Amino acid sequence: MKRLTKLVAGAAAIALATAGCAGSGGNSSEESSGGERTLTVWLMNGSAPETLTDALNKEFEGANEGVTVKYEVQEWGGIQDKLTTALASQNPPDVIELGNTQAPSFAADGVLTDLSGDVSDLNGDQWLSSLKDSGEWDGKQYATPFYAANRVVLYRTDMFQQAGIAAPPTSRAEWLDAITKLKAKFGSDPQFQPLYLPGQNWYSLLSFIYDEGGDIAEKDGTEFKATVNSPEAKAGLEFYKQLVDASGTTAPKDNDEQNPEQAGIYGQGKVAMMIALPWELGTAAKDNPDIEKNSSAFAIPSKTAGKTAPVFQGGSNLAIPVNSKNPDLAKSYLKLLMSDKYQGQLAEAGMVPGASTDLSALDATPVSKAMAEASQSGKAAPATPKWATVEAGQNPLKDMMTAYLTGAKDLDTATNDANSALDAAFTG
Amino acid sequence: MTATVHTSVPAGATPPAPARAPRRRRTISLGEKTIPYLLLAPAVVVMLVLLGWPAVQVIGISFRKLDLGELVRGELVWVGFDNYTEVLSDPEFWTITLRTVLFTASIVAATVLVGMLLALLMRHLSGPVRVALQVTLVLAWATPIVAATTMFQWIFDQQYGILNKTLVKLGFDSFQGFSWFSSGVSTLTVIGILIVWQAVPFVCFTIYAGLLQAPKELYEAAAMDGTSAWQSFTTVSWPAIRPLVTLATFLSVIWDFKVFAQVWAIRQGGPDGESTTLPLLMYLRGIAGRHFGVASAVAVLMILVLVVLTARYLQLLLRTREGDIS
Repeated sequence: MKRLTKLVAGAAAIALATAGCAGSGGNSSEESSGGERTLTVWLMNGSAPETLTDALNKEFEGANEGVTVKYEVQEWGGIQDKLTTALASQNPPDVIELGNTQAPSFAADGVLTDLSGDVSDLNGDQWLSSLKDSGEWDGKQYATPFYAANRVVLYRTDMFQQAGIAAPPTSRAEWLDAITKLKAKFGSDPQFQPLYLPGQNWYSLLSFIYDEGGDIAEKDGTEFKATVNSPEAKAGLEFYKQLVDASGTTAPKDNDEQNPEQAGIYGQGKVAMMIALPWELGTAAKDNPDIEKNSSAFAIPSKTAGKTAPVFQGGSNLAIPVNSKNPDLAKSYLKLLMSDKYQGQLAEAGMVPGASTDLSALDATPVSKAMAEASQSGKAAPATPKWATVEAGQNPLKDMMTAYLTGAKDLDTATNDANSALDAAFTG
Repeated sequence: MTATVHTSVPAGATPPAPARAPRRRRTISLGEKTIPYLLLAPAVVVMLVLLGWPAVQVIGISFRKLDLGELVRGELVWVGFDNYTEVLSDPEFWTITLRTVLFTASIVAATVLVGMLLALLMRHLSGPVRVALQVTLVLAWATPIVAATTMFQWIFDQQYGILNKTLVKLGFDSFQGFSWFSSGVSTLTVIGILIVWQAVPFVCFTIYAGLLQAPKELYEAAAMDGTSAWQSFTTVSWPAIRPLVTLATFLSVIWDFKVFAQVWAIRQGGPDGESTTLPLLMYLRGIAGRHFGVASAVAVLMILVLVVLTARYLQLLLRTREGDIS
């Protein structure tokens, strides 16, 4: 009897173990019998506003019998890893939003569906050209534009008034002058900062470099060569340092604008200006609702008076993974999202629509008006697949900025090191 | 042949039958023979599936070109030793390996030393104080890694950190706005302190358990003989804890060699790649760069370095018959 008990116990243990191991593998694929289908859509935090996506999902579900839209909002931090694992899985999402700096990389890897044949269906004649380029690879179109946004300088109108600054600066000299006036008025408060500028805000640095007439890389056929050590880039970096030193900002020199989140610091009310995307004002307003009515924006000034500096045009593309289970549904979803109705809603929400040339809705608030004004001269990051690796891994531009701002390296060493690192990244 | 047993039988009394061990022939049934294997089977199967198979796969992938495209499309592209040549010919690789080995060596040494000292301290503490120490150690151990990393970033923050604030209050004005992350060495020191803080409890409890084995009478005897504290340590405590210290060192080397979360979360291997260790290199090549073949080659090379570092202990482990390893 004792022997039998032992035998039964052993067999039961094995049965449980194998059942546990096997159980997880069975329920992966969706049953498509009976017409019940799920469309998984991944959009990013801070992109399309909730009102837009709710209306869009409702309309799509209404128009397609038996289809439910599984809509998920993803965080920007670590999204590349998440997308990599999701795309390699059995059940990838059907519609994904890719930053325009990441899209070329995914397109070149061949993991996105070729949409070249559907461009006209997707409102192709109204596409924003910089976003169209980032979705293109090897002559084929792998991603559609979604929206673009560029940075502006958010500022506190009440502080400007108190400091005696009549109008927002329209040149670099006026900007530095405004900083001096603000410091004179509010400098007695040790927590006050005329301009919150962390050391690694490379998007802003790009604006200054573009304004000098340079760029971080130039296209050489299909290859890219880094030009960070060009005189124009050096001049841009020098101006960045000038701003940091003039304002005496206590922002960390070895971190970027999200660590700590600059919108939160602006929301605390002791910062007069920050270079930010328009939606960051909304984030600041969550902690401090009053700040919205006391804030406005002006376009990043150029060194030439009266002009605005060219801006780094950030934005997103939309794509369909090549192994999606519902490519046809995904395409009709994109068609709906690219329609004038929803692109118009994007503009109303304060973003530059990717598939509509009508920017009039952006004139509604001064902040989005400033952004729309600057978006006319927008440039994107080098449209090379290698750029995504730079953003996901170690960014030589960030290292260069920290090294130069802290004085660890002089201007020439810092730019030369960054140049070689970028060149290595472009060829690696 | 039967052996004749002469038993002297005293005259008169009836002698008791000479005691003979009952020779019972035990037939071991098939069921009993297989029971041990059946009971071991679940653990072995789980280990093979969750550890063995992925390990074999990693070795296989290190000989393939596996970028995101090949992964998604399920392609098999064999490239022989190309991935290894790419990794080994990168001059950064040797710097990073040396940095990882030195970093691991220093945190293991610190962990074992502090753990041992704390265990010795615990031996001398009484009742509630000892329990309080043990509870704080367990709390440090139980804190989730990312939460602990975030806390350390706040403590060491340049502008708002409590450490700089305290140092300035104590009179060290040079620490106003001091950046603890300005060089690779100082960044790795901060990361090292974080790792040691969370690793010490395990080592401490392990060695404390060993110390409890040393009988108190030996300490009293040693005290009566007039030995110094150091001598009573070397003659009484050390033999009791030596196998556990070896075990703790071995485990610490393995765990600390592959530490990733803390190093990445603090400064992503910066500034300027100066705090990049081998696990980070694997992440940069693999997940960030999406060259999984190259990352697997780095992983296999990491295992080789680890085998070299722990060779002596592996030798002991494989050679010993009893459980006593020292």
